[in-house]
Amino acid sequence: MTQKITFTIEGMECPNCSMILEMIEDKLEGVLMVEASYKKALMKIEFDEKLVTITRIKEEVQRLGYRVVD
Amino acid sequence: METILIAFITGLTTGGLSCLAVQGGLLASSLSHQIENSVQSKRPLARGKNNQTSIKPQFAIPILVFLASKLVAYSALGFLLGLLGQMFQLSILTRAILQILIGVFMLGTALRMLNVHPIFRYFVIEPPAFIRKKLRNTAANPNKADLSSPAFLGFLTVLIPCGVTQAMMAVALGSGDPLQGMALMFAFTLGASPVFFAVAFFTTQIGSKMEKHFMRFVAIVILVLAFVTIDNGVTLAGSPVSISRLFKTPNQVQAGLPTLPEANQAESLSPIPTNTSNATNQPEVEAASESSIISINVENYGYSPDVIHAKAGVPITLELITNNIYSCSRAFVIPSLRIERILPETGVETISLPAQEAGKKLQFSCSMGMYTGVIIFDL
Repeated sequence: MTQKITFTIEGMECPNCSMILEMIEDKLEGVLMVEASYKKALMKIEFDEKLVTITRIKEEVQRLGYRVVD
Repeated sequence: METILIAFITGLTTGGLSCLAVQGGLLASSLSHQIENSVQSKRPLARGKNNQTSIKPQFAIPILVFLASKLVAYSALGFLLGLLGQMFQLSILTRAILQILIGVFMLGTALRMLNVHPIFRYFVIEPPAFIRKKLRNTAANPNKADLSSPAFLGFLTVLIPCGVTQAMMAVALGSGDPLQGMALMFAFTLGASPVFFAVAFFTTQIGSKMEKHFMRFVAIVILVLAFVTIDNGVTLAGSPVSISRLFKTPNQVQAGLPTLPEANQAESLSPIPTNTSNATNQPEVEAASESSIISINVENYGYSPDVIHAKAGVPITLELITNNIYSCSRAFVIPSLRIERILPETGVETISLPAQEAGKKLQFSCSMGMYTGVIIFDL
């Protein structure tokens, strides 16, 4: 089942950061779409919850050097 | 020429690393699929530094291709921006406003880089999502691991300019000349290339901490340039008050903008230097005779004299004398009278000024607002 979530991201310091976060779309199976905004410090993500979990997505964000604000 | 040199030095000193922080990931991704795999699997990515990977010597050519392509793209962009500025045939006031806006943009960029407040993030041009996706896909495509990939991506970097580049693009727009715009962007990108290349090559030696310090340094440089740009814009708008004037004419302020006897006194205290190259730092006060002809020596770094007392109520002929002058002081403007002249490198240009009322102060400057002077009608 497809789910859409918007995360607030901490640690984005330049516009390139949004591109880095959007790479999650290519890396994690089950992630259908990622759209990040450096200006708004947000990351919209659409994913199949049968294939990938929110925890796994947060881990990936952290691995990239950012933090999801709960 | 001077502006182009400044653009080159800006690129050399701040542009390289600043641009690398934004575009480095794209470069690393473009080099080969192998590097991308290395970036993704060998070590955790740090923010904006997915170029942190060991680049082997055989990648020198792709990096050069990337940079050459980038150089072509930004030169073309500079040409288009200059053309855009020219098409609008900017008046002196519009240019002044544009310059002030450029300054404000630079100020916002600097404050954004210093993380002063999230609101300053709006001072950056973020490429739309579909362009980011296109860039990502191109970079990640393993079938494009040849030289066409870095060439294509180098070209596409025009879509993700860094803050310093964006400031330079604004200057190219303000130049109002396609060739000048192209030369500016070419010089800047060329200046940024050695640092870009070196850091891409030896990137593992640049720690994230050092990079952070460097970005702060870049931000402070932009901050200073922002104030200078705004001040130049204010001067160009014909404002009698500007930061540079405050520093430039302390004697005038003390003398309360002298009448003739006071001016003579000031003159005796501060003899007029002749043939100096730093006229802007040494305020000159000249009490003009009642002649209706005023001669001004146009120098590479200002005008001499730069404070002139003239007779009110009669037309004045201004003689602008140049001798092997190549700086922007040749682009002479009197904003309040909307007079603008490009002076010859060597020669005399005359400008007729209508009679001015007593007490009137006519500010003049170069077209960038960098070099200034004033004619005071108080005789």
